[in-house]
Amino acid sequence: MSTPPAATPGMTPGMTPGMTPGTTPGQTSATSAMSATSTAASAAPSATATTEGALLLASGSAGGSARALGASGGGPGSRAEGSSPNRTSRRARTTRLSRHALLLVLSLLWLAPVVLIVSTALKTDRDVTVNPFGLFTTFSLGNLQAAWVGGGFDGYLLNSILLSVPSTALVLVLSTCAGYAFARLPFPGRGLAFALVVMGLLVPFFTYMIPLYFQLRSMGLLDTLVGVDLVLTLGSVPFGAFFMRAFFTDLPTELEHAARVDGCSEWQIFTKVMLPLVRPGIAALGVFTFLQTWNNFLVPLLYLPGGSYRPLTTGLFQFVSGRQLDIGPLAAATLITIIPVVVVFLVMQRQVAEGFISGSVKG
Amino acid sequence: MRRAQARLGIALAAPLVALMVVFFAVPVLSAVYYSFVAYDGITAAPAFVGLANYTRMLTDAQVWHGLGNNAIWIVLGTATPLVIGLGIALLLWGVRAGSRFYRLAVFFPYVMPGVAIGITWGWIYDPINGWLNTVLGAVGLGALGTGWLGNPSTALFAVLATAIWAATGFVMLIFLSALQNVDVELLDAARLDRANTVQRIWHVVLPQIMPVILMVTTVTLVGGFSVFDIVFIMTGGGPDGASEVLGTIAFTNAFQLNEISYGTTIAMFITALSIPAAIAINRLQRRLADQGMGR
Repeated sequence: MSTPPAATPGMTPGMTPGMTPGTTPGQTSATSAMSATSTAASAAPSATATTEGALLLASGSAGGSARALGASGGGPGSRAEGSSPNRTSRRARTTRLSRHALLLVLSLLWLAPVVLIVSTALKTDRDVTVNPFGLFTTFSLGNLQAAWVGGGFDGYLLNSILLSVPSTALVLVLSTCAGYAFARLPFPGRGLAFALVVMGLLVPFFTYMIPLYFQLRSMGLLDTLVGVDLVLTLGSVPFGAFFMRAFFTDLPTELEHAARVDGCSEWQIFTKVMLPLVRPGIAALGVFTFLQTWNNFLVPLLYLPGGSYRPLTTGLFQFVSGRQLDIGPLAAATLITIIPVVVVFLVMQRQVAEGFISGSVKG
Repeated sequence: MRRAQARLGIALAAPLVALMVVFFAVPVLSAVYYSFVAYDGITAAPAFVGLANYTRMLTDAQVWHGLGNNAIWIVLGTATPLVIGLGIALLLWGVRAGSRFYRLAVFFPYVMPGVAIGITWGWIYDPINGWLNTVLGAVGLGALGTGWLGNPSTALFAVLATAIWAATGFVMLIFLSALQNVDVELLDAARLDRANTVQRIWHVVLPQIMPVILMVTTVTLVGGFSVFDIVFIMTGGGPDGASEVLGTIAFTNAFQLNEISYGTTIAMFITALSIPAAIAINRLQRRLADQGMGR
């Protein structure tokens, strides 16, 4: 792919102004975790940035995406502030303030529904009855308890874990192995196998979801965790293989030759030399796949009709249709469903951003 | 060495290929078969009906209504997040203090499960206590208040607004990463030439990120054909079929009306609509990669 040359100039204009003089101590500490990871990523652009770029948004988007969500990138604004300190300082400050005011309003607008969930979930029953959607003035864990015990969300949570963790692990193993084979190991039938992966990316789930139901039924996999884990894996694996292939393609051939001269077997080259170099890619793919499977609604809705392995998403849906008026426990159930997402989202910001930006290739 | 490579290659790719053949290739072929027979889910050897399912589909008013809703979804659901997402990205561009909070806040809805989004927005649209009607009442527009999801003329748009809210953060993120590649020298030159903000955005920034704009457009556009979750969760296609889209029609036929073959045929229609667009995306991305993102 022709990305590497463009990657470096692509990253610099964004990086330098923001990173060098502009980075204040306070900001560095605020974004410490993020900055650390994102500089690590940009320090090894050959491994991460270019692959990502080749995949989708082209050069520099990996570094860009990392900064897009996490650490604050530089831009024209920061430059302007530096270049004309006195003359326009008052005007600059008012523009900056109004810009922040506008951004704050927009952020709150986007967060409002999340606030609504938290507030409704943590109110007392009486408060919910009197003023269902007002911000909470009372505090109670009663709704959470009702959802957890009465609504069966403890079981749904376990099912969600049993559905998304094994399928994510399987996606990572299958995609890494196949991605490596597609990228660096010529074998008979490789073109055909890769064409199958590309088809998997292009053909929407809708096309085959109905026959798949009857196929699972005849295989005895309908309404089983194994069956749905396999279907969830299938849903993410074409993208995963495509994604990992791009990572492996960009690794320098010299590494492989050197390892071979040192007497490594093909298997050792894969596991000892190549695999450690694509770890950032595996992490991004893992986070992305986990969120995709955790949030998946249609697959468990279709293939777990019995209800004994219902995960949080379809459990929540069932809960809504069952009792429209029980708003408090419903909000608590919603909160239980999104908490793991919030945690993963906040802890793994960079991987989330990277995964989703490249994930859009899926269409 | 070559043989060792080939052996390992086959061993590494085989599990994935096996999985994809069994759970992807076979059901895709079955789908084609289903669309030419009359399958009810029980009969072992369903009768061959030729193109009957397809002709039925083309004369089905419900399908056309659904397709119309998909068209509305694609136009508004593509253009709106694009404009708002670009606006927020431009606002955020170069902002340092607090920028992480803003980004996280706007992007978070995109990773929320659809059911949680649907439930919360259902409350916001609540006819009596919902925030939307409350706010409208507070600013003196109480007359506009309605049961947003229960009113046939607003249901589709209410769901669409929710989808737009959820998608905007993603578009913003893509644009933010594209803006990192914009040539700041050019921007400074334009500033020296006394170009105002609007002129700088229009003549300097937008042309540089045009390929990304095109790509985001196509990606959201393709998604518009196979929209299902949020509509199914929020309205189930109702009230009275008002917010039905092709996805919900295919689902209802196959899994609620037992019209397996007809549902599959509608799903084939969705496929036929979205694959060309998906291929276009692929082309576009390759071109983007070749140009180093339009620089």
